[in-house]
Amino acid sequence: MQTVARWLRTIFLVDLIKGLWVTARYTPQPAFTFQYPAERRPVAPRFRGLLRLQVEPETGAATCIVCDQCARVCPDDLIALGGHREPGQKIKILDYFDFNLSRCSFCGLCAEVCPTRPVKALIMSEDYELGTYTRDRQILRIDEMYDGVPIEHYVR
Amino acid sequence: MGLIEHRFEDNFITTQVDRILTWARENSLWPMGFGLACCAIEMMAASASRYDIARFGSEVFRASPRQADLLIVAGTVTKKMAPVLRRLYDQMPEPKWVISMGACSNAGGPFPTYSVLQGVDKIVPVDVYVSGCPPRPEALLYGLMRLQDKIRRENTVLRRERVIPVGATEPVLVATDTTSHGFTRNNTEAKNE
Repeated sequence: MQTVARWLRTIFLVDLIKGLWVTARYTPQPAFTFQYPAERRPVAPRFRGLLRLQVEPETGAATCIVCDQCARVCPDDLIALGGHREPGQKIKILDYFDFNLSRCSFCGLCAEVCPTRPVKALIMSEDYELGTYTRDRQILRIDEMYDGVPIEHYVR
Repeated sequence: MGLIEHRFEDNFITTQVDRILTWARENSLWPMGFGLACCAIEMMAASASRYDIARFGSEVFRASPRQADLLIVAGTVTKKMAPVLRRLYDQMPEPKWVISMGACSNAGGPFPTYSVLQGVDKIVPVDVYVSGCPPRPEALLYGLMRLQDKIRRENTVLRRERVIPVGATEPVLVATDTTSHGFTRNNTEAKNE
């Protein structure tokens, strides 16, 4: 009896049809692939991308008060910043902000301690497309900290 | 390839041949699977179906350096691993490129210690540094696209002395030292730091 059943299974290709049914079930699904350069996946709300300095959205004034807390909290000592005080004024003005991207592990501690309110001077932005041709370009100066890193074109 | 590489002046035939060879090179970069740490997970994710590095022609992760064009250094390179990495790089056939993926292989990352190599460019010439800890798969694909840009600008059969000055759009022929390419260039960069 068992032999007859096995013969029938073999003759009517039951196992093959079972297997092909699995294949056929998965085939009509839409493509799973992100067409990355054309289509960008939205990042999570708490995503930590490249460090970025912010300005006041209305006035465009600089928000950093040169408190040096981000440089002190950075576990790898990647941030160096400095400023000066205009005579007669209490607030400091940011002069330079050097950020060594090459070692950064994107922990977000620098942005977490930034005390300026309501606009945080230092945020983790949503930029993650970071690629350079040299190591010198991985040290970001103050203008790149405000505007973000542009796409670098190869010049030979 | 060695017989015709960088041996021809510009003319109609050589520029067309150069364009075809460059197109073939940039769209079939076969990487060598060199995952060392957590960046390797993202590299695997980039080659999986969601991000699909095969769209860029780089899906063939080779286990042997003899069959690879591209070395993706993904992860912390310890000083114990460094000679192995250099030997594998030397075993790759020309032309070859290197992508340094992640903070650890770019500059040592959060490990400024005696056992970790402070940047993979100390031992192999690196073409593209991809930042991130680890970089997202998109960031690796971005680095791959920047490497393709680089390969597109580099010539195959044409003379190497074609240089595009900063601010200009057309390449000019300048006499340079033909021996100063590849590893020598990156050595000087490392000294300048």
